[in-house]
Amino acid sequence: MKKVLVVDDSLSVARQLEKIISESGDFTCVGHAKNGAEAIKMNHTENPDIICMDMNMPGMDGLTALRTLSVMDKEVKVVMVTSLGGVGDKFTEALKLGAKNVISKPFEADNVLRILREL
Amino acid sequence: MAVKFFGQFLVEQGIVTNEALLEAINLQDKNNLKLGEMAVAMGLITPADIKRAHNAQMSKDMRLGDLLVEMGLLTLDQVSDVATRQKNTHLYIGEALVQIGALTTDGLQKQLDAFKADQAQYISSGIDLPITSPNSKIWEMTADLTYKMITRVLDLQFRPGKCTVATAISPSFMLAAMDLSGDVEARYLISVSESLQKSIAKAILSEPSVDNESAEVLEDTVMEFVNVVCGNVAAKASQMGVIMNINPPVTVHPPASGLPIPDGCTALIFPIHIGDGDTMEMILLIKG
Repeated sequence: MKKVLVVDDSLSVARQLEKIISESGDFTCVGHAKNGAEAIKMNHTENPDIICMDMNMPGMDGLTALRTLSVMDKEVKVVMVTSLGGVGDKFTEALKLGAKNVISKPFEADNVLRILREL
Repeated sequence: MAVKFFGQFLVEQGIVTNEALLEAINLQDKNNLKLGEMAVAMGLITPADIKRAHNAQMSKDMRLGDLLVEMGLLTLDQVSDVATRQKNTHLYIGEALVQIGALTTDGLQKQLDAFKADQAQYISSGIDLPITSPNSKIWEMTADLTYKMITRVLDLQFRPGKCTVATAISPSFMLAAMDLSGDVEARYLISVSESLQKSIAKAILSEPSVDNESAEVLEDTVMEFVNVVCGNVAAKASQMGVIMNINPPVTVHPPASGLPIPDGCTALIFPIHIGDGDTMEMILLIKG
């Protein structure tokens, strides 16, 4: 079963994603980081296969963390989950920095799982 | 279920790979010259002129075209000619994908139609503002998208009330706020009662009851709703050519006397009457 780390400063979004992931049967959620810096630490301790990460967070934001993760860990697959997915420049920047996909909020469980299964 | 741009839609639907999209974007970057680059390509100014103008921009908050006119390097007519050339030679993302072989011409048209259908729910309908502002269209779109998200995300029946200019923010159970910056400067707020906060929490968490949830989680759901609305507003604004940055949301607990309007701001209040007799408010504090 693939391990997924959720990174979002919002408790409610983390709850939604953890529920979708853990009820899927294909993935297990290994933790919740509240900003980019925590994500980098938890990537080291939890060694997830996939990271679902918000862009807009206080402290270290998602794109900064993505930039670091893409250098530090070539194996982990990062998917951005953000309300800013429809902003073309943000979407493009995320792909250029190595994100595998970008999921726009509000999201649907089926869409999230389809994208995670395609990784 | 969100405002998207065409390239994102194609990747999300699995029509093109993200590698193909990046290749098409690189092609766009090479083809779609910026105003200064186009003026140089048309032989109207030199790269050294552009460098001087960029240096001047550091101390002057002006668009490059206006600055080049002010510096006497271009006339207004020449700026207009450059902009027309930019428009006429602009390579759209769909065309770029066809050029690199990721889509056929027929396939492009089919996907454009599918994209149009997907985004039809976010096409703005008219909203009357009680003020005239250079960014009226943006604020109308913001209100309209808020209404659409109340239906799609919160699944609440509502009736929008008349927008008014306010001299204070009325007291309420809580407000969630997000600062908007970039081409526009404003604070977006949603004001809710205790029962509406629970309705929002049920919808965001997809739970039938939130009676045992902590106050922190309940407040977070209202902030997340504001985050979703404002992120989609920023996406729509970018389609309208307006750069809008969003910041992490915060909560505000107004005192019983309400909140004053900050100096230099215009406050627009949009009452939103919910089916069961409750009312939430969308508030825009617009700077300038």
